[in-house]
Amino acid sequence: MTPARLAGAAALAVAAAVLPEVAGPFWMGLVTQMLVFGVLALSVDLLLGHAGLFSICHGSFFAVAAYTTALLEVRYAVATAMAAPAGLLAGTLLGLVFGLAVRTRGVYFILITIAFGYVVWGVAHRWSSFTGGDNGVTNVPFPAVAGVRIDSHTEYYYLVLVAVALVALGYGRVIRSPFGLALRGIKGSESRMRTLGYDSNRHLYAAFVLSAALASLAGVLYVYYNRFVNPVAASFPVSVEAALMAIIGGTGTILGPFIGSIIILGLRNWVSSFFELYAAIMGLVFIVAVLWVPEGLVGLAARVRGRRAPAGPGSATG
Amino acid sequence: MTAAVEVTGLVKEFGGLRAVDGVSLSVPPGERRVLIGPNGAGKTTLFHCVTGTLAPTAGRVALFGRDVTRLPEHRRTVLGMGRTFQISNVIADLTCRENLLLAAAGTDARKWVLHRRITAFEDLARTAQDNLARIGLERRADEAVRRLSYGERRQLELALALTSRPRVLFLDEPCAGLSPSERARISRMIAGLPRDLTVLMIEHDMDVALGLADRVTVLHRGRIILEGSPGEVQTHPEVREVYFGHV
Amino acid sequence: MATGALLQAINGTSLAALLFLVASGFTVTFGLMRVVNMAYGAYYLLGGYVGLSIAQASGSFALAVVGGGAAVVVFGFLVDRFLIRHTGENHLAQVLLTVGVAFVVGDVALKIWGGDSLKVPVPLFLRGAMELPGGLVYPTFRFVLILFGVAVAGVLWVLYTRTQIGAVVRAGVDDREQVAATGIDVDRLFAMVSALASFMAGMAGVVGGAFLTLYPGAEWEILIVALVVVIVGGLGSLGGAMIGALVVGLLDAYGRWLLPEFSYFVLFGPMAVLLLFRPRGIAGKDA
Repeated sequence: MTPARLAGAAALAVAAAVLPEVAGPFWMGLVTQMLVFGVLALSVDLLLGHAGLFSICHGSFFAVAAYTTALLEVRYAVATAMAAPAGLLAGTLLGLVFGLAVRTRGVYFILITIAFGYVVWGVAHRWSSFTGGDNGVTNVPFPAVAGVRIDSHTEYYYLVLVAVALVALGYGRVIRSPFGLALRGIKGSESRMRTLGYDSNRHLYAAFVLSAALASLAGVLYVYYNRFVNPVAASFPVSVEAALMAIIGGTGTILGPFIGSIIILGLRNWVSSFFELYAAIMGLVFIVAVLWVPEGLVGLAARVRGRRAPAGPGSATG
Repeated sequence: MTAAVEVTGLVKEFGGLRAVDGVSLSVPPGERRVLIGPNGAGKTTLFHCVTGTLAPTAGRVALFGRDVTRLPEHRRTVLGMGRTFQISNVIADLTCRENLLLAAAGTDARKWVLHRRITAFEDLARTAQDNLARIGLERRADEAVRRLSYGERRQLELALALTSRPRVLFLDEPCAGLSPSERARISRMIAGLPRDLTVLMIEHDMDVALGLADRVTVLHRGRIILEGSPGEVQTHPEVREVYFGHV
Repeated sequence: MATGALLQAINGTSLAALLFLVASGFTVTFGLMRVVNMAYGAYYLLGGYVGLSIAQASGSFALAVVGGGAAVVVFGFLVDRFLIRHTGENHLAQVLLTVGVAFVVGDVALKIWGGDSLKVPVPLFLRGAMELPGGLVYPTFRFVLILFGVAVAGVLWVLYTRTQIGAVVRAGVDDREQVAATGIDVDRLFAMVSALASFMAGMAGVVGGAFLTLYPGAEWEILIVALVVVIVGGLGSLGGAMIGALVVGLLDAYGRWLLPEFSYFVLFGPMAVLLLFRPRGIAGKDA
């Protein structure tokens, strides 16, 4: 790390640490959300920015993990030490199944992930006897492990901060590993990688499952923050927004998805305070992002089309 | 002695068209075999079927005696196959070094490692560095490949194919799109390859082809019409007719 | 049990008719123009709401159907001309862009028509039920919808396979550069096909709004099911859209009847099977 970067990171760490004192509960809650959704956006970006796959179903893993943890805690009084890992596992298992989509590429892949995502939403919405339908699962307690209980939103904020820092470190390792480089190779030219000895389908499947696990982690972090989960968590807009966060913030990087999360959630918060039609505003943001931020999309688009990525910024190797 | 590459009765059909129409050939280990033929003769399609990019409609392909007809490409690479493509196929957004690291790790189980930086693997780094030196691109090692000239990319591609230490190398028009000096450079590289490496090459440039070949196979409309030494092929009337339309 | 099964078969077929109207536009637009338009559900909703207002104001269902379709043709043209045109063949950009459009339409529609489920009024002669052979009583409207769907499918099929324009479109779906090279005005062709697809989506909204009702979120539900139709039938294939619509319509009806809480799972089944054996769908073209 260069001195400048190190200084920047230190400043960020300090700012994050004093936030609750300086800015108050509202901002702290908002930043907690931004961090959690940043992790979700990161999970989407593992596929998008590194493997070249545009998946719009990560809300499913997020929601399944959140629901699993919530139901275990609320309905079966299972302790956090079991409920949280169970949520993580549930979402990851779903990733193993949805990973089937990796047998397709390009447009087919996008459409299939959309359809898969909807199946989960539909089950959450319809199977009301189990999931609570549109009412969802409420009164999720704060997490408690080995007698240590989180008692306030402030404490939870710090927990999330630490968790996200660890996630970022781990993620950084993965993208700099041989596996991470292989993904970028496949994104660049699958045919070349195959003739170099890489089973591209297997690599992409592994990446998909890994990203599902990361999305599941976000889901667990989310449900303890929100203390509530309903089918909206699995909805199409959540998955699409996660992708947009990664794109706006800068794909192929670690910080990018978090920046995107800050921008999108910040914007939504600001707009909805004075304007009713904020979904329409988000729609406009999508349109503007596509039409006026083309460089970031160029590299991804080439891959989605099934060709090798052309020149252009925004396809950094992280 | 087992042939390095043994193709028996290979057929490849696209819809109603037979691009490859019953080709059989046998390349002994260490031979430099060149495939020539006019455009549309089916040379690249044949290559694709032998290397696993396409599945043949009928026929058999064996590498060093092992039947690989239904084996996917990445498995063939592990068995010792290397190839370059007709249109330069390297990973443009990565650096030269990264391309070579990937090539070095391709046949290694460590490509699945998730938790350590790729740069931590010294032997892979050394292999990449050696191959960079081989093609004279050390100074541009950490530049993105898309900034290289076409000729330099061609060289890189050859280096990639060689990095996985293949036993048989498939080169599809390695000189295509290159300036004369670049052609000469690539030719020298190919000529300088170790003698125990079997090389199959498609080439249009007659001088390059005949200069490098031990043996030449001539393809026309999906079939082999002649096979022989460079001298024989060069003077054969049927070849002249196929290429120039007159005897 | 047998009447129940028969009833669901008819339900499924009437849903299939509706799905075909939405899915066929999406699939041919993709096949010919390589455009992925995720706003088709919003087109359905927009057409439905506009048709609803027209029906309420004029009392004419026919006018509502035509008006709803026409409104979407205009809107769709604007979206094509000013937005989609800039995305080239960048599918990722198209998805995000058209999703944005759908969000805007959905929110504005919510503001204008409110959040309640609204039903498009249907003319008297189509209300009520009719008696089918075997003693089964079935809503007239849904039955007529099946006939309508078959008629539209028939007309489209004839246009597609037996007319010169259809031949050009089919050739274009196969190989666009080839068609452009023959000197045919490709832009005009695209505009026409796009307009037809928009009209069908809008029309479907009015028709669907008469028995499924219109409500916020309907645009996504119909889109997703239409996407499954397109995945199953193969992108770019009109015939595939017909078969896919039937398969999905019937699965949905039987799924809702037998396993109401898991009916979305039933949709999942054929897709998963297809992915295992034929990722390109029943008759798909290359993506």
